[in-house]
Amino acid sequence: MSTSALAPSVFSAAAPASSPLRRLLRLTWHYRSACLQVLILQTTLLGLSLGGLSTVGLCVDLLRHALDPSAPAPVWPLRLSPPSSWSASQQLFLLGALVLAMGTAYGLLSYAHGVQSGRVQHLRLVPELRASVFHKLLRLSFSFYDTSGSASIINRVTSDVQAARSFVDGVMLQGGVLALTLSVYAAFMLRANVPLTFACLGATPLLWWLTLRFSSWARGAYQKTRDLVDEVVRTMSEGVHGIVVTKVFGREAEELARFERRNQAVVDQQQEIFRRASHYSSSVHFTSQINVAVLLGYGGWLVTQSRLSLGDLIVFANVLTQFATQVSAMARVVNTLQESLAGARRVFEVLDAEIEIQSPRSALVPGAAGAPSLSGALRFEGVQFGYAGAAPALDDIQLEVPAGGCVAILGGTAAGKSTLLHLVPRFYDVRAGRVSIDGHDVREFDVDALRRNIGVVFQETLLFRQTIAENIAFGHPEADAAAIERAARIAGAHEFIQSMPAGYATMLAEEGANLSGGQRQRLALARAVLVEPKLLLLDDPTAALDPETEREVLGALRRVMQGRTTLIVSNRLSALRFADRIVVLDRGRIAEQGTHRELMSRAGLYYRTALLQGVGASEGGAADALALADEIAARGRGEPTA
Amino acid sequence: MTQALRQPPAALTAKPAVERPSQAVERPLDFSIIRRLFACTRPYGRLRNWLLVLVVLRSVQLPTLSWLTASVISGPIHDRHGSGIALGVLAFVLWAGFTAGCFVYRSRYALELGEYVVRDLRRAIYAHLLRLPMSYFKRTEVGRLLGRTVHDVDSVRTGVQDVFFVTVVQAGSMGISAALMAHYDLPLFLVMLVMAPGLWLVTRHFRKLSSAAYRQRSESFARVTASLAESVNGIREIQSFTRQERNAQAFALRIADHADLNMRGARLAAVFQPVLSFNGQFFLALLLVLGGYQVLGGRVELDALIQFLFLSTSFFNGIPIIGEQYNQALTAMAGAERVFRLLDTRPDWEDAPDARDFGRIEGRVEFHDVSFQYERGVQVLSDVDFVAQPGESIALVGHTGSGKSTIANLIAKLYLPSAGRVCIDGQDLARMSGLSLHRQIACVTQQNFLFTGTVLENILVGKPDATTADVEQALDALGVRDLIELLPAGLQSTVGERGVGLSSGQRQIVCFARALIASPRVVILDEATSAVDSVTEARVQDALQRLLAGRTSFVVAHRLSTILRADQILVLDHGRIVERGNHQQLLRLGGSYARSYQEFVSSRSIDV
Repeated sequence: MSTSALAPSVFSAAAPASSPLRRLLRLTWHYRSACLQVLILQTTLLGLSLGGLSTVGLCVDLLRHALDPSAPAPVWPLRLSPPSSWSASQQLFLLGALVLAMGTAYGLLSYAHGVQSGRVQHLRLVPELRASVFHKLLRLSFSFYDTSGSASIINRVTSDVQAARSFVDGVMLQGGVLALTLSVYAAFMLRANVPLTFACLGATPLLWWLTLRFSSWARGAYQKTRDLVDEVVRTMSEGVHGIVVTKVFGREAEELARFERRNQAVVDQQQEIFRRASHYSSSVHFTSQINVAVLLGYGGWLVTQSRLSLGDLIVFANVLTQFATQVSAMARVVNTLQESLAGARRVFEVLDAEIEIQSPRSALVPGAAGAPSLSGALRFEGVQFGYAGAAPALDDIQLEVPAGGCVAILGGTAAGKSTLLHLVPRFYDVRAGRVSIDGHDVREFDVDALRRNIGVVFQETLLFRQTIAENIAFGHPEADAAAIERAARIAGAHEFIQSMPAGYATMLAEEGANLSGGQRQRLALARAVLVEPKLLLLDDPTAALDPETEREVLGALRRVMQGRTTLIVSNRLSALRFADRIVVLDRGRIAEQGTHRELMSRAGLYYRTALLQGVGASEGGAADALALADEIAARGRGEPTA
Repeated sequence: MTQALRQPPAALTAKPAVERPSQAVERPLDFSIIRRLFACTRPYGRLRNWLLVLVVLRSVQLPTLSWLTASVISGPIHDRHGSGIALGVLAFVLWAGFTAGCFVYRSRYALELGEYVVRDLRRAIYAHLLRLPMSYFKRTEVGRLLGRTVHDVDSVRTGVQDVFFVTVVQAGSMGISAALMAHYDLPLFLVMLVMAPGLWLVTRHFRKLSSAAYRQRSESFARVTASLAESVNGIREIQSFTRQERNAQAFALRIADHADLNMRGARLAAVFQPVLSFNGQFFLALLLVLGGYQVLGGRVELDALIQFLFLSTSFFNGIPIIGEQYNQALTAMAGAERVFRLLDTRPDWEDAPDARDFGRIEGRVEFHDVSFQYERGVQVLSDVDFVAQPGESIALVGHTGSGKSTIANLIAKLYLPSAGRVCIDGQDLARMSGLSLHRQIACVTQQNFLFTGTVLENILVGKPDATTADVEQALDALGVRDLIELLPAGLQSTVGERGVGLSSGQRQIVCFARALIASPRVVILDEATSAVDSVTEARVQDALQRLLAGRTSFVVAHRLSTILRADQILVLDHGRIVERGNHQQLLRLGGSYARSYQEFVSSRSIDV
């Protein structure tokens, strides 16, 4: 089942320019028939509950008339009075049966209502929205991920989707229900007595105004509280994370004080909320009591004048209670409207985001029927690249790696080493110039096919919470056990996998936490080898390893590189020894290139780095390295050197 | 109203892997926990007692308001008694006003009490964590624990501010309504009372079902977010291995599963609500038929029936509310139990009660036959024995897991040795106060941990009362002031969580400055393995030498240059010192150090 089939076109960026409100309305329209059913059910439910209430009133009037014939006779609705031969108690039984029947119908229909609205919300809206946002996320280019934090991206699929869907059920549906309820109640009361209705509902607009004002204030205030609580939690978890620092410097008291300030800030912020909230809720209650008082006074007087039946008065009292509960419903609709707009904006942002990296129309698919497979000759021709809006990170890059060759890239932080690698599988596209494989611009290939021909190993390897075998087969899930083991052997991972409790079936902890750094990198190598790539990109694969583990990984690398075009980035010279040629990058440009011997004879950047890292260190060499380190340090400070 | 306050803080929910707190496992109420929770409110005794008065008052006010309404209707209105109506309405308004006035304080005091208790618990937890020794943090996944604890503390809030007081209000209202109804007509009330246990059972049953459903839902949601987080964090891997389709499918299955569970919850609610309302309607029909029949027969007054119509609502409403509170109580209890368990964690060790303070430390560090194990049976150090003279620099060399960091940890008294003695200036650390030691010791860890805040604040951790001038002086002494001034706002530049915003070289320098400003007598340094670019590397090395100069230092060394400079190199293997001496001596010895050095040198010569 393809997920794209799940995603109705209404989510896609048909008209990204239109406002979120307009698009949310379109979204609602998409679910119109389900919504309509919910509304119809709701109307029926309203009718039933009013029916029940008026039956009670009718009963009271019936009893009163039976006891005291001077009291007004009960007025049956729609002139559906029972035959006059019926005794009062027979009528009473009829009314009791009616209440029960309506109660049963109410129960059944309200079950249907609950299920139906749950179905719209849980089975259609949310999963469909989530699937389409996720689907889109997986296709978005890296530049999108560069600019948004992972927590924010995750929230877009979880809470923002919930907020956006709440427009349909929380705003449109609830708003409809609210309007319906209010007008039905009002009509019901007006039919009974117009002036009394106005008198009783006189304070209602005041109540609404109060509610809206309070809830708009409270939204901001609660947000602030949440932020402050987050801050408390952050302080706590940070403190635990850095517990060694606090302990070693003996700063427990200071750290606790720091925490205490944030903890107290929450309480201070809450005080004002508590004060206002308690006043608000109390005045809401009081206002509805005033409505009851008006009813008792004015309505009572009407009863004495026989202009209102006692039963109607009781019904009125009940309807007023129902009316009062609608106040909070209205506040909820207004709040939801604002939240859903904010959520929808973030959701649509993802759905509308442009996928920068796409396959061209008639793409080359290497290895497909009739098409030649790649041999892997890689060329950078006058390549310039910069991240969105930033100065070029790479400029004027000329580089050639023959098929099966290996070039190492060396350079300081922000020299553009990783960026250079990212251009090959089109994680980003060049700004000028071109990157080509076998003479074809990488932009001519089908993106997926291109990437399937390239194996990448990153500085820090992300492993998934699956078995070791599944992690190795990540790029080719259908691979059989033999292929997986072969890849593991090449990457020098077979031995340690065998020694794991369940071998290849061992589950990895989150982010491979149950493995050492060297083991993780060897799994990454195995994962890259398994897809049999023609090109191999190694982004500083040993940077986070200690020298001893580094040696193990480097040993595996030699086998992995066999027969593949390889670009390896590293800061450590030890990792560069397999390279046919070394390219030294400095601030986005190629500063030097050549073999180790050539570069050492040039006494440039490479030479200095090499000495610093003790390359060729004999007794004298080591002393040289120290002297040089001092010299470079002095130069960096701008001091004259001796 | 307090809903927003009960929501889990975003800092935790945004972190997808955090374990969702499981709901209360049904267990009987535990009175020792209740007593302890009650003790938490003791500092706010006055507030609590006033609140108690207010809720008792409210439990009287609510049913009497219903009673007043019914009385006015069945009395003066029924009898068409004009001045009686006016009097009744006046009484109603006054009573409603008084009720509202009390309610302001009833809700405010409850919220305040809950907030105070939560604040105190959070503080107690953090203070306790800071007191626990490192061994606790090594054993426990504290991050996860904290995530759950924050939820737990919030469920305790509900327990403190709502459960007891709401129950008092509702139970009181029910009691008074019941008494009034019994007063008006006992037989009719008894018939009605038969319904109550049924309602209670139905409520409890559905609550139990729905909290089980809730637990399943939140577990499935945790799976959704975990899979989502994995995909977002692994987007590089997914796109480079073209796994988009497959991951989308896997995710679709997760959401479908979650949707089904949500639907199950919705269906459950869709049953429960109608059952409740049907129960009400059934009762109403019963009341009308039975009561009405009695009224017609003259055995019951009409006004009694009207009273029943109003009072029964406030009687029956109480049952589901108390049922809900009972549920909350169980959740709060489970939360409180976990919170108290954390607070009751006994530290493995603490400073001896008669621990003495260090005077100025000279810096002579001695290990006498020190052995150590983190876990029983796993020996990490065995019979380690050495002396470092004041001012000497010691390099600790060896494989991963050979015990280098453990030696550093024992010198800092982060752990106590399992056997043997660690002495500074001849004093056994076990007998000295940790604080007086820590004031004269500094430590630079591999992670170069920084707190969120400014660079200046981070340096001041070493010496909180230092001035900015002192800090600048320290940076000068390290020869790195220019590197810090390169930052956008110099010393005032902000550091994000885990040092975001600073390069790894800059982070190391800030950590050095933090160590230097503490003017320590002993410095412990775990050298960073990650490489920075050559120029910065050289500056860092230089700053490091300045930091170590004139102090006793222990360096877990990864750099050749650091090892070459050491006065003494301790070569460790499986927790034992196998060779010792300076570089030249060790080379002459021709042992494992000499062999690894040769191997290292040859691995660096590319040009073979």
